[in-house]
Amino acid sequence: MTNDDTPLIAVDGIEKRFGTVEALSGVNLELGDNEVLGLVGDNGAGKSTLIKTLVGIHQPDAGEIRYDGDPVTIENPKAARELGIGTVYQDLALVDELSVASNLFLGRNPIKKIGGLIPVLDEEYMNEEAERILRERLNIHVDPETPVEYLSGGERQAIAIARALVTDPDIVLLDEPTSALSKAAVNEVEELVFTLKENGHSVIIIDHNLEEIFSWTDRIAILFNGRVVDVVDTEEVTRDDIVSMMISGQSVLGDDTDADEQTAGSESATSSSTA
Amino acid sequence: MSTLTNLSSSVEDLRDTDRTRMLLFLMDNLIWPILFVSFLFFSALLPEIFTDYRNIRFLLYTSAGLGAITLAEGICLISGHFDLSVGSIAGFSAMSGSLFLTQWAPGTPGVVGIAVVLGVGAFIGFLNGFFISKFGVNPFLQTLSTLIIFEGGILVLSSTSIFNLPGTFTYLGGATVDLPLFKPMPVAVFFMFALFVAVFAWLTKTRFGRAIYAVGGDKEAAGEAGINVDKVVISVYVVSGLLAATGGLLLTGFTGGATPTLGTAQLFPAFTAAVIGGISLFGGRGNVLNALGGVLLLGTISAGLVMLNVGPQIVQTVNGVILFSAILLYTFVGRYRERLLSDL
Ligand SMILES: Nc1ncnc2c1ncn2[C@@H]1O[C@H](COP(=O)(O)OP(=O)(O)OP(=O)(O)O)[C@@H](O)[C@H]1O
Ligand SMILES: [Mg+2]
Repeated sequence: MTNDDTPLIAVDGIEKRFGTVEALSGVNLELGDNEVLGLVGDNGAGKSTLIKTLVGIHQPDAGEIRYDGDPVTIENPKAARELGIGTVYQDLALVDELSVASNLFLGRNPIKKIGGLIPVLDEEYMNEEAERILRERLNIHVDPETPVEYLSGGERQAIAIARALVTDPDIVLLDEPTSALSKAAVNEVEELVFTLKENGHSVIIIDHNLEEIFSWTDRIAILFNGRVVDVVDTEEVTRDDIVSMMISGQSVLGDDTDADEQTAGSESATSSSTA
Repeated sequence: MSTLTNLSSSVEDLRDTDRTRMLLFLMDNLIWPILFVSFLFFSALLPEIFTDYRNIRFLLYTSAGLGAITLAEGICLISGHFDLSVGSIAGFSAMSGSLFLTQWAPGTPGVVGIAVVLGVGAFIGFLNGFFISKFGVNPFLQTLSTLIIFEGGILVLSSTSIFNLPGTFTYLGGATVDLPLFKPMPVAVFFMFALFVAVFAWLTKTRFGRAIYAVGGDKEAAGEAGINVDKVVISVYVVSGLLAATGGLLLTGFTGGATPTLGTAQLFPAFTAAVIGGISLFGGRGNVLNALGGVLLLGTISAGLVMLNVGPQIVQTVNGVILFSAILLYTFVGRYRERLLSDL
């Protein structure tokens, strides 16, 4: 049923309001198989809201999410994880009081059975795995038993990234994964994004650093006031194009059929956007 | 030369981190040295009498009911919530079970009465958790209403004490066993220790316990990480209700019957014991075994004061002062702890 063109995940006319704020007003977006998609936009454009809607933290007020071509309802982050989506949240979603290992396995801590009967946490396995994953995938060396509150901002971000990878997801969503990282650590994330791509994963990455966006992504989606201005091939645009679209909310590319489709597809966006 | 200085400085570092870790460990378990010092203090003031086997036994025995209710409060606090209703749940469920056995269905075996007690406690706890998680009711207000409703409910059920309960019903709280090492010792004492160990194991060794700490530490993060927060909150209140009801059962056995005021005076001591045991009011932190230390400290001090012939009315004032000192102490410890951590 699925041919090669079926996007891995697609959102269609997604709307989300918070009280009077319309965070998403008819977003259409597709993430292809083995694609790295950048998501850019000004503060408050709706990037994080879109990510949170994709993983079931928010339920959309309208619109549809399709996974591998099939409409899906993603009830909660656990369901998203089981579907093969790993997420690094902008706020990292770490519990300060818990250890590195506990955080890495939060919500799915491995258990072992004492005497084949009583299920207890397998701390030893968690610690070993946490240490290994952090070392091998991010080149970070921390004691897995240390509570996360003792760690630096960069180490915390690394833990959040590692957690998104523990389940070996098909799709990795990264909401500003490098904002607290040093140059060296950013290089680790860069390598990670390339490795993910090489190994056939798909990635959506939100980043205010356009340099990173340009060197890491295949396509870039520009979000403005809760709608997609345009989705462009990274190689076909300049930095200025992107900035201009982020600020004006207008596509700058000549034949922006993509954007026309977008606006036509969403009723709520038409009034405000096609000036 | 330089390698030598390096070596010696790294040895120093090691010693420093070890010292820091030890200090941290001490600060996390401060209740035990405090308990020890208080015990020595009263033993010195009351030589022979305070350390007498019967006194210690009585001290432990009076702690049992409070211990269970402290656990009920403790797990709510660890989950980042609040429960004002633990005392009235204890009283109401104990009264329900007692009336069931004596008036509603006389002749039913005592174990059925125990089931009624636990069922009522769990149900009230469920209501608390349900409204807090599904309707977003503030835990303070929710459990305050529960407190008022069921404290009144006890009097609606019966304004007099219920005695002549079956032996099986009062066994846990009232019976004594003769063990070779512990001459006669109330069953309730062993039960209390077992209960603390069991709840401790549940909280620290199981996936669900870890989820409770996670929700208490950061509800939003826990949800984003895939924990079903509502389920955790409801379960915490159900277990809290069960534990409070267990406290009611123990108190009934201790008193020999269900009195209308049974349990209702336990809220503040339970809260105090949990807090001086180091359970954080902000959730995500704390060790229920240390709350046992808190229970024993309150027991030690009130037993000591009573034996010194200080009027029982003073005890509450003293408890208040202890709570206040504990809060001050932990505030300072919290600050000092952050400084230590930044050195690690
Ligand atoms: N839970 C919420 N409740 C109410 N309003 C919200 C909520 N989450 C987001 N919003 C609002 O929705 C809009 C979009 O927010 P969002 O966090 O998606 O922006 P963003 O593009 O991620 O911005 P940033 O670059 O600053 O992270 C904002 O106006 C924000 O205030
Ligand atoms: Mg954001």
